Amino acid sequence: MGRVALALVHQELLERTRDRWVLVISGLFALLASGVSLYGRSEELTATRLIGPSLVTLASLFVPLVALILGHDAVVGERERNTLGLLLSLPVRRFEVILAKFVGRLLALGGAIGLGLGAAVLFASAENRAVLLQLILPTLLLGAAFLSVGVLLSTLVSRQLTSASLVVATWFLLVFFYDLGLLGLMVVTDGQVAPETISTLVTVNPAGLFRLEMMQRFAGPDVLEGLGVGVAPPGSAATIGLWTLWILAPVASSSLILTLKKVT
Amino acid sequence: MTPPLKTLELRELSVHYGKLQALRGVDLALSAGEVLILAGPNGAGKSTLIKYLLGLVKPSAGALYVDGARRGVDDGLKRDLGYLPESVAFAENLDGEQVLRFFARARGVPRQRVHQVLARVGLLHAARRRVRGYSRGMRQRLGLGVAILSEPRLLILDEPTGGLDQEGLEVLWSVLAEWRAADRLVLMATHDLTLVERRVDRMCLLEGGSVRALDTPTRLRELAALPVRVSFRLADPRDGVEALVAQARGFADGGEVALREDMLSVEVPPARLLPLLQLHMDLGKLVQGVRVEEPGLDAVYDHLLEEAT
Repeated sequence: MGRVALALVHQELLERTRDRWVLVISGLFALLASGVSLYGRSEELTATRLIGPSLVTLASLFVPLVALILGHDAVVGERERNTLGLLLSLPVRRFEVILAKFVGRLLALGGAIGLGLGAAVLFASAENRAVLLQLILPTLLLGAAFLSVGVLLSTLVSRQLTSASLVVATWFLLVFFYDLGLLGLMVVTDGQVAPETISTLVTVNPAGLFRLEMMQRFAGPDVLEGLGVGVAPPGSAATIGLWTLWILAPVASSSLILTLKKVT
Repeated sequence: MTPPLKTLELRELSVHYGKLQALRGVDLALSAGEVLILAGPNGAGKSTLIKYLLGLVKPSAGALYVDGARRGVDDGLKRDLGYLPESVAFAENLDGEQVLRFFARARGVPRQRVHQVLARVGLLHAARRRVRGYSRGMRQRLGLGVAILSEPRLLILDEPTGGLDQEGLEVLWSVLAEWRAADRLVLMATHDLTLVERRVDRMCLLEGGSVRALDTPTRLRELAALPVRVSFRLADPRDGVEALVAQARGFADGGEVALREDMLSVEVPPARLLPLLQLHMDLGKLVQGVRVEEPGLDAVYDHLLEEAT
């Protein structure tokens, strides 16, 4: 990264830490995570039985939302403020602009996740802390994937309002309706869909992959058996591949689109 | 160290957006110490020309020559230019100083220059106020500050007068004067021709992607040959006024002749101006004062545009 891109990383981080929506949602996440941690401590339950799965659920709801909000105005915001041309008139490549915006916002997201999970770790009992620390990296990957999608959406559209609507729709679709859709598919087909297909469909969604990975880590491989869903976890290589794809593909697409798209 | 930028020349520059041809074989040169304005109706190609110089669009034909050498819009040129976009807004969560600091870091400008620039554009008092609380004029001044931050050789201003109050305009005029005095180059797209005409050296009139006229305001005015308005303040409107009006009509050549209270206004072709003023000399005591108003650059613009179409 050149000087302009590094300055942009710094600027993006500074700007995001002053975004009230990001602050409010991050604060709420920290509050709820602390609550879960304190409840688990008072009930003398182990992290793997209660705190872990509860935090996974919380993180899978909040982190994609914060990440999408963080990414939604990355490019379209500059376009609407008439500063995109100004930014690109600096000696910087367009892919560097996208990369710098992604990295700067990822650092802000890292701060938000650190705040939320840090609060949970802080209030957890000593024996649960090590277990909760296992959540940090996968949560960051989850956030990075959704942030990347948010940046892509912000590159595709020409109005910030459209981008905001799209990120909300994406959040509902991937975080809420996706699993419901799969359940619906199984009901409609009377369980005729092969478990491997369901398994694949669950894991190609970053929110599903995160939940599956973490639930299995905290509650064991039979966690979804109770629902009648035999979802097999993907192998390590497949997991790394999926996360890499979800994080890099949208950012790379954004760079390509920004390079090809007319700057107004 | 690279020598300072002295001339920019566009030769036969054409730009297409798909099937739409935004610029058609534009020839335009800009020299050190010159302030050149780009004028033209919406869609004339002003923004496209600016975007080309910023490296935002690729030409379909033609080339840019920098100091006589063929060169594209590269990082070297980008380091040497400052740009003020039209109706610029900036991130609302940041304060003015933070906005300028980012561009200072990006351009490798010393930090103390930020405060100098804030003072220069009259925003030192609002340096720590978030941009959200800035008026349109203040945002425009901040944009001007961003443009001049690195003291670029080439300053590109897109509608710089928008939203500026008198104080802001004075800042803009002083920047133009400074850039001219320092032998730098200024390219400015504007619709406020009357406002800027005394501060510019040449005007380029674009229409339909082509250059329709390119010269100094004085030469363009001569080219347009629009009538000049001469107003005589009469010593006594009742004394010999009919004869005076009749004489004035002879000079007006069909132009407007109007008598309002003690003021006789006559529109004459430029070629008749001197004989008309001679009449004033001959009339002696009948006329107390005289004022000559040349047509504004906006009238010249309208005329040239009408001729072109």
